[in-house]
Order: sequence, then C-alpha cells, then structure tokens
Amino acid sequence: MDEHNPSRRAALGALALGTAAAAAVTASTTTASASTPEEFTKRGSIAIGVVSGVPPFGIVNERGEASGYDVDVANLIAKYMGVKAEITALAPPARIPALQAKRVDLLVATLGPTPERAKTIVFPMPYSAFRMSIMGSNDLAAKSLADLAGKRVAVPRGSPQDTTLTRMAMPGTNIVRFDDDAICAQAVFSRQVDAAALPDTTVNQILGQNKGANAELKFAFALQPNSMAVRKDQMELHQWLNNTIWFMKNSGELDEISKKWLNAPLPELPVF
Amino acid sequence: MPSLVFSDVWAQFDTLLSGLLQTVWISAVAIVLGVVIGVLCAVARSARSRILRALAAGYVEGMRNTPFIVQLFLVFFGLPGLGIQITAIQAGLIALTLNLGAYSAEIIRAGIEATHRSQIEAGAALGLRRRDILLHVVLLPALERVWPALSSQFVLTMLASSILSQISVEELSSAGALIDSRTYRSMEVYIILAGFYLGLTMLFRLSFDLAGRFLFPRRRAVAVRR
Repeated sequence: MDEHNPSRRAALGALALGTAAAAAVTASTTTASASTPEEFTKRGSIAIGVVSGVPPFGIVNERGEASGYDVDVANLIAKYMGVKAEITALAPPARIPALQAKRVDLLVATLGPTPERAKTIVFPMPYSAFRMSIMGSNDLAAKSLADLAGKRVAVPRGSPQDTTLTRMAMPGTNIVRFDDDAICAQAVFSRQVDAAALPDTTVNQILGQNKGANAELKFAFALQPNSMAVRKDQMELHQWLNNTIWFMKNSGELDEISKKWLNAPLPELPVF
Repeated sequence: MPSLVFSDVWAQFDTLLSGLLQTVWISAVAIVLGVVIGVLCAVARSARSRILRALAAGYVEGMRNTPFIVQLFLVFFGLPGLGIQITAIQAGLIALTLNLGAYSAEIIRAGIEATHRSQIEAGAALGLRRRDILLHVVLLPALERVWPALSSQFVLTMLASSILSQISVEELSSAGALIDSRTYRSMEVYIILAGFYLGLTMLFRLSFDLAGRFLFPRRRAVAVRR
C-alpha cells in the first residue's frame, strides 16, 4: 500500500459528486450576471473558475489558497481586462455546471475542447496542453495502445482521456470509469486495474509523491490542448479572449507559465 | 432557470436501463445476504458466549459508526493490498452486505428483545427444544414485528448502492454521471435519476410488503409489549 489516505480519497470523490449536483441544483440562483468585457470593467471584477485537485494545473498552496497553472493564467486574463480576479476552485465534474449556473463568468480550468462539450459551452482557442499518457504497473509490458487489448484501463469519467481512449482503443480494451485522476492512480497502485490514462503532468506528479510505487509512465498517446470556456450568450467575451490568448502567446507570457509549472515550453497549440 | 432539454439524455436510454438493472440485482443480492448476516449477528449478540457477543458488538458498532464510502474504499483498495483480488462489483457487494448486516442486526435485536419472557417459558413448558424456541418463539415473531423497519433499511441499502459509482461499478448513478459527462445536461440527468430511484423505491417497498405477507402468513395480531 502507498500512503494515500482512503478517507481523504473518499471525501474527494463525494465532494466531486456533491459539488456537481449542488452546482446543478443552484442553477436558478444566479450570481455572475455580467457577460461582456465592458460590464466586467464596470463591475471591477470577474469570477473565474479554475480546476481543483489536478496538479500542477489546480492545486492548493501552503496557505490553503487555490494555486497552479490555471490560477496564473486566470490572473493574467484579469490583468489584461483591468479587473480583479475572483478565483473559484472547482472539482472536474463541477466545472461546466458551475459555468452554466452562472456561479462563475469564465472557466480557465484545463478543459479539453471536445465537440460534445462545445454543444453546450463555447471554447476560445487553447491556452495550454498536456500529453495524454498511460501509467501502468511495472510488470505491464505496454508500448502502444495495441498492447492494452484485454487489459483494464482506468479513466476519469467524461474526461478527454475517456473520450479519446474510447475512440482510439483496440477492441478488447476494458475501459473502467472513476470520478477523478487520484482514484484512477489508486486503482493502478492497488492492482484493481492494469493501467490508467492520465495527463503526463499528473503521472509525473503522482509518481514523484509515491516513490517506490509499483507504477511507471508507459507512453503518450495523444496531445490534449486545453481551452478556457464561456457560455453561449458571451460571444463578445469569447472574441476578447481569443484576441488576448493570441497576444499572450506572442508576448511569451503563456510560455513562461508553462515553463514555471511543467518545466517545458508551450507546445504548438491549435488555433480556431 | 435554464431551459430543460431531455432528448439528449433519453437518447442514451440503453445506458440508463443497464444501470438500472445493475442497481436492482446488486441491491437484491446485498439485501438477501445482509439480512442473513443481520439475523446471525442479532442472535450472536444475545448468545451465552461472551466472545461471540463481543465479536458481534464490535462488528455492528464498527460498521454503524463509519461512513459507507470509507468502508467501500477500504474493501476496494484494501483487499487487493492483502493479496485478495476482487472486482469492483464484488467489492461493492461485500461493503453493501456488511453495512446492511450491521444495521439490520440492530433492528432485529430490538425485535428479539421485545419477546416477553413468558413466551419463552411457555415454549419451554410445552417441551420445545431450545433451538425450536429460538426459531419459532423468538426469531420469526421478532422478524415479523420489525419487518416494516427492516424494509426501510433495505430501501436505504438500495439508495446507498449509488455510492458504488465511485469504484467504477456501472450502476444507475454511474450511468447517469456518464450521460451527464457526455451531454452536460446535469439538471435533466439528475431529475431523471431521481425519478428512477423514486420508482425503484416504490417497487422495492411493494415487493417487501408482498414478501412479508408470504414470509409471515399467519397475519396474527402482533401483541405490542410495553
């Protein structure tokens, strides 16, 4: 066994489900009502949702505040808008419901721009990326997705890894769905599954914290660009974000944030 | 209030249906096994052997004073660490059964303790064996007395099976979460889930009522002892 605490895991899982449900239920009690850059400037603040529990994109620092890649980008966005950023940390399943319920004005939450998601919300061009990779126990001989046929592979339910692996996996691959990255990793450690599909950044973080764990990064199978997200009635904000993301890419500021948190330069990102 | 669109969710009815069936059979198996454990434990708690009493009390208190999700994770992640390989469904069944066993043991014990001493003495006077007194004079009337309370506990177990979604069991809540993650129609999904669970609860209550009539056919007036 490793030093992961099951009750913490349990609390996290329950929290994720709870916040998703709560976010859905509070859909009628709106708070974030401004929707254009002009209105935010008038109000002096913008409510930005970032991801939580996905190191290094969304973590909690020693002082108990939300921190990480997304928080840095969120603050940069607020700086360019000339307003104060009000950061809300959201568990992965709660991100889109929180945006739709207007609890936040905008998501900078390591969200993969999938066509399914784009039916309900709007994605500006990507601002960051990670590589989807396979983490497996040491004795698992796997160099490509073909080697995973007949194996049990954990994915976070509804994540881009879920969608991508479901599409790319060889027939016979048994995809098992959990609520978040941490439980997927735990399932590998306790041999409930043979492997897990996770961001390479997460795998490195997890293995760094669990020295001697019976698991290693096997291979990457896809590049996952991440987008911010706005509601469908915020097209003006969407256009402003596209403009500003292009600007921050050119200025090298996004590259600096990537080097700070991932120790790697910003890869070539798709533009749309 | 955002407008509700149910068509995306209904398009994945197959997923919901297989989740529903999974919930029904897992709950049914856990209820049958759990009530067996409950009866054994309730009897053990009034046994002559002190060790047996202590073991039963330890199990009941341990299960009733920890959250179900913690028990579930301990079974799912803990047993493989001890070299026992189990599937998610097996882990879920074990946790649900053990949990229900402890709660039903307390309910059944209340029924047993409500048996008046004179009943047992009457049984002994009629020359019944100790085993027969336990079964016919104590246990069966006790179960009959607490059947409504047990039925409620069974329904709670069925509802608690939704937590198995956390360990990748593809039951009803898990099916809902999967559809939610594909359609982003959270309100719609959870409204439908609530309706499904409500229907299941009524179905379960009805079957427990019928099972009660079958198991306790005498339909005698139950004397309430104060």
